[in-house]
Amino acid sequence: MAAVIALTSLGSGVTSNITEVFSGLGTNLLTISSGSAGGPPGLVRGGVRQTITTEDAEAIKELGDPRIAGVAPTLQTNAQVKAGALNANATVVGTWSDYASVRNSAVEFGTFFSDADTRSRKRVAVIGFDIAAELYPDQEASGQRITIQGVSFTVVGVLPDKGAGFGSSNTNVFVPLSTYLQRINRQTSVGAPTVQAIYVQGASAEDLDGLVTDLTLMMANRHGTPEPEEYDFRIQNQADTLDSLNSVTRTLTLFLGAIAGISLLVGGIGIMNIMLVSVTERTREIGIRKALGARPRDILTQFLLEAVVLSAGGGVVGIGIGIGLAIFATLFLDITPGIAVGSILVAFGFAAAVGIFFGFYPAQRAARLDPVSSLRYE
Amino acid sequence: MTPIPPPVLRLEEVHKSYPLEQEEFWALKGVSFDLHEGEMVSLMGPSGSGKTTLMNIIGLLDRPTEGRYQLRGQDVSRLSESARAAVRNRMVGFVFQAFHLLPRLSVLENVEVPLTYAGVPGRERRSRAAERLEKVGLGDKLGHRPTQLSGGQQQRVAVARALALNPALLLADEPTGNLDTRTGAEILDLFEELNNEGVTVMIVTHESAVSERTRRIIRLRDGVLDSHAREVA
Repeated sequence: MAAVIALTSLGSGVTSNITEVFSGLGTNLLTISSGSAGGPPGLVRGGVRQTITTEDAEAIKELGDPRIAGVAPTLQTNAQVKAGALNANATVVGTWSDYASVRNSAVEFGTFFSDADTRSRKRVAVIGFDIAAELYPDQEASGQRITIQGVSFTVVGVLPDKGAGFGSSNTNVFVPLSTYLQRINRQTSVGAPTVQAIYVQGASAEDLDGLVTDLTLMMANRHGTPEPEEYDFRIQNQADTLDSLNSVTRTLTLFLGAIAGISLLVGGIGIMNIMLVSVTERTREIGIRKALGARPRDILTQFLLEAVVLSAGGGVVGIGIGIGLAIFATLFLDITPGIAVGSILVAFGFAAAVGIFFGFYPAQRAARLDPVSSLRYE
Repeated sequence: MTPIPPPVLRLEEVHKSYPLEQEEFWALKGVSFDLHEGEMVSLMGPSGSGKTTLMNIIGLLDRPTEGRYQLRGQDVSRLSESARAAVRNRMVGFVFQAFHLLPRLSVLENVEVPLTYAGVPGRERRSRAAERLEKVGLGDKLGHRPTQLSGGQQQRVAVARALALNPALLLADEPTGNLDTRTGAEILDLFEELNNEGVTVMIVTHESAVSERTRRIIRLRDGVLDSHAREVA
């Protein structure tokens, strides 16, 4: 029982963790990044030649396709940001104003920078929650000035706390992409300045597959690589990634459930064994009770109740141990365990059901004992 | 004129057989007798006479193979196991040679057991059980465990338990067999006292010292009533 609680808690914890992270990244999200179609997924980026440019992003934007809700190219670098005597290590990201909606990053205080800010290369910045807390512990961050690599920026907005996990924006500083290219960093391996990724948000989930096909054709055209083997870019649909991750955790949960099921079976057989021994040891008592007027049904109820008390008692102990284990595991795993009252009740019900199921056979044996011979049993 | 009440117990040509390897063994070969309200009888016979088999049938622990058995006018020879349990519960009070108390229950709880199976609610159950224990002289031992009592006291608890539901018949199987002569005599005194109050008593025994104290003796030999034996009137 302990195993059931601990394992299913961790399993559902992992699943909800992943789902939460992904929905935090934006919905209907497509990611266009550099790399060949057959290459490894975008976790290893070091050796990939940057081929996506700001012009690609602008071309997508200019399509004016109604299926596209927003476009946001990004470039990023790690830099120290300063405000007065304080400083913080930040990931500075240059992007467009659409980023706020595309990556689900609406500001909590102030505003995100606008298209006009991008066009006029304004030195404005939107900062993450942790950066604001570090640089401006005692005051409102909006309107203050920060320095990034010696360039002064005005803070126009602060993002809400996104937690410490994967994909969090807490240590990010967002600036207009044009300002970033002019003031901070610029790479032009293919003529136009390259970006690390272009995020495209679809208007609806249904159109996403068609959009991927059209964008792939368009990018192939622009990069002069008509054959899929020659593609120097990759378009990832976040829903697909989420699906495959979820199928992994589903398998994991199923596997954990199977282990838990086996332990239930073993526990149930243990209960059956104990009850069979108990029935044998108490043959005389059963005989006496029958002589005093106990019907088979009364004996059956008595032994079933004992089995249920036994297994439900074990269930309570197991639930305690399970919760303990799940909490203990989170100390090391950085997963919020999904301990739900529902799953505890289900586990308790399961324990009682195991008692009834595996206690039935011994109880029935007790109920069917012949009173004459069981009275004489030594 | 009031109609004559039916006998407490009537056996008509009761047979009982057990299957052996090849043939059947007939433990009872046609036993018939009546037992009337307020009688006190002993059932005697050497071992192998079918005495225990007859007692099991009378106590509804077993079923006759052939013949009829009526308890207070009701034919109980063909009842289902559950129905027999209910009749056994209300009509027959058992007293065993080895007392057969439940060791994990207190004296009071032991007497409550048959009341529980009869569905008597808790409060009334306790007061009735206490009253019966008072009657057998153990009113001060309600919370004791059976193992804390002497043999004679344990047998008194068993008698109180047998009387819990005012049964039609008190059926005692060698009730003095595990007791010394004096304590045994005291238990027989108790039976006599109960019988004087109207309880119908049947004692199964092979000791003539016991059977001498009853007004009527039923003798069994080789599965039939011993016709040569004298029934003491």
